[in-house]
Amino acid sequence: MTSAATLPPRVTEEKTANKILGWIALPVGILALLVIGSLLSEQFFTTRNLTNVLINMSIVGIIVVGMTFVFIVRGLADLSVPAMVAIGALLTLSLQPSLGSLVGALVGILAASAAGLINGLFIGYFRLNPVITTLATGTIVLGIAQAAVGGVIVYGDDPALQSFLTGRIILGIPTIVLIFLAVAVGGHLLLSQTIFGRWVYAAGSNPDATKASAVPLNFTKAAAFWMTATLSGFSGVLLALTLQTARPGIGTGYEFDAITAVVVGGVSLLGGFGNVPRAIGGLLLVTLLSNIMVLNGIPTASQGLVMGALIAGAVALDVYLRRRGGAA
Amino acid sequence: MNTLKRVFESPAVLTLIHYRVVVILIATLFLSVSLVPGLTEFRTLSLSLDRTATLGVVAVGLTVVLLMGKLDLSVGSTLALSGIATIGLQDQLGPFGAAVAGIVVGVLAGVLNGFLVVTLQINSLVATLASMIFLRALCHFLTDSNPISGDDPLFGLTVSRALGGTFSLRTYVFLIAILLLFIWLTYTVAGRRLYAVGSNEHAATASGIRSNRYLFGAFVFSGFTAGAAGVMQSLATNTGSPAFGEATALTAIAAVVIGGTRLEGGRGSALGTLGGVLVLAAITTTLEYESVPTYYQNIVTGSILLLLILLDRIASNSPRSALSLNSLLSFGKRDETPTEKKQEGKVP
Repeated sequence: MTSAATLPPRVTEEKTANKILGWIALPVGILALLVIGSLLSEQFFTTRNLTNVLINMSIVGIIVVGMTFVFIVRGLADLSVPAMVAIGALLTLSLQPSLGSLVGALVGILAASAAGLINGLFIGYFRLNPVITTLATGTIVLGIAQAAVGGVIVYGDDPALQSFLTGRIILGIPTIVLIFLAVAVGGHLLLSQTIFGRWVYAAGSNPDATKASAVPLNFTKAAAFWMTATLSGFSGVLLALTLQTARPGIGTGYEFDAITAVVVGGVSLLGGFGNVPRAIGGLLLVTLLSNIMVLNGIPTASQGLVMGALIAGAVALDVYLRRRGGAA
Repeated sequence: MNTLKRVFESPAVLTLIHYRVVVILIATLFLSVSLVPGLTEFRTLSLSLDRTATLGVVAVGLTVVLLMGKLDLSVGSTLALSGIATIGLQDQLGPFGAAVAGIVVGVLAGVLNGFLVVTLQINSLVATLASMIFLRALCHFLTDSNPISGDDPLFGLTVSRALGGTFSLRTYVFLIAILLLFIWLTYTVAGRRLYAVGSNEHAATASGIRSNRYLFGAFVFSGFTAGAAGVMQSLATNTGSPAFGEATALTAIAAVVIGGTRLEGGRGSALGTLGGVLVLAAITTTLEYESVPTYYQNIVTGSILLLLILLDRIASNSPRSALSLNSLLSFGKRDETPTEKKQEGKVP
């Protein structure tokens, strides 16, 4: 089946059944989890628990929006996320006493954004491998962030801002969730309604054809990585402000959490396919699953048994459907 | 722009870029020797080699996976799981049997990765991310997140103690692994086919190479070396911990890439990986001796990594990328062919 003779035809209509399965799998999964969760635990379907789920989602969710762009533009993945989260968090809290929370936050976001420019320059314009580049820049940025604060845990002192972010402001929805929703809607509109969004899909589907059509391929790729770094820094700022404490390892695991969500949402690592709502759906599914396991007494460290299987299963299903659909 | 271009195309600079791994290795070793007194003393050398041996063995397996253009993020989790098997099964199987079981665990982890990547056709980055998360959770599940320790601490000493006043056993394991990998990649048909599959899987398949078997084998091999590394680390510390090897995958990938292996596949060598591991070892030893905090070490390591992949890019983009001794000897007779440098490859 790998020989040239049996390659699938170039243009194939995706089978309707597969198409439908691809679209409804995620919503059905989320609904099923809501039902299972309610059956297994009485605390699950309460406003308090579901609000917590939303708050937990928000920090990673902001990164997921950026990571979706990286996936669709065929940039593989951004492994520098933990460093960007850390630099945003550490700078915010360490500058808080002298400059105040908001200026500190701004500096944190700008620092992550500057690091994102370097990512974009190397990956977009120099065509370096994204995995190894973001690994290297992540190591450097995390080192610089730690050196800047002396490698210690930083504590903040701004309970007003903390309660503003986690407090329920509008319709009982916490501010931080509203911020996440704003980022998600913004990202969705950028991807689906603008020329830049079309460039992102084009660059991910067929880089050569895209370049031939005078689409700024380098810029598009660079922008995706710049966005992810900036959003990660922003996410780190929010994390630091809600926790009022930041240690250098604060962002550890966020890159894999974000990748997990995007992958479970069915966004292709091969580029050109997916959207922000799908990725957010994947995140919702993962967060709900994790929440149900916590409520049923399964320790966080062991939840990876289910999460690992979920990632592999989701992608295997995706690959299978594509192969049957003829999209190889 | 043009002067820069000329500088980058001068034979001297191109030679430096071509032998960048050797240049970086000599530079770091020189720096280490001048900063750390007594580094050239055999005992110090033996000790610092012993400390990197575990990482080195993991890097040997990763070299093969990276050569094939794939990634294996799960090696750290495999290392931890095999260590837990090595210590935890000592009561049932005896120390030797448990060590074998540890290696078997590594091989099984490799089979899992091979199944995900080759059979289910999942992208290796995502597949090994999934197995990384899964195996790490399995470690926590089996040990209840607590490190376990063995009964006989003396048994493990054989791994890290210097043999007859020379290197420790695990250093020898690492060096022999590098040697075997060198022979495998350079002198055997299987080695050449590995490069073929890594450069262009479809072309290799079309030429009658069973690419999928080689891919599967690469992941099994990587699992095997990670398992062996886990056995050595757990025996040396007489501990099996679910927290072992959390940074191993990324550090080992860095070592292999510093050694000149390309993530796109098809390029890399055993000696390069040896060089990459030695560079990291030299940096760590030196900066620790100077009591520089770890985060500065990270900045240095990251910068070297970034510099090397950038140089690799320049080297592979330049018209004289196929730089050989011959072309160096014929220096002066610059060919007049117009340079076809791609815009994005240029250094501003």
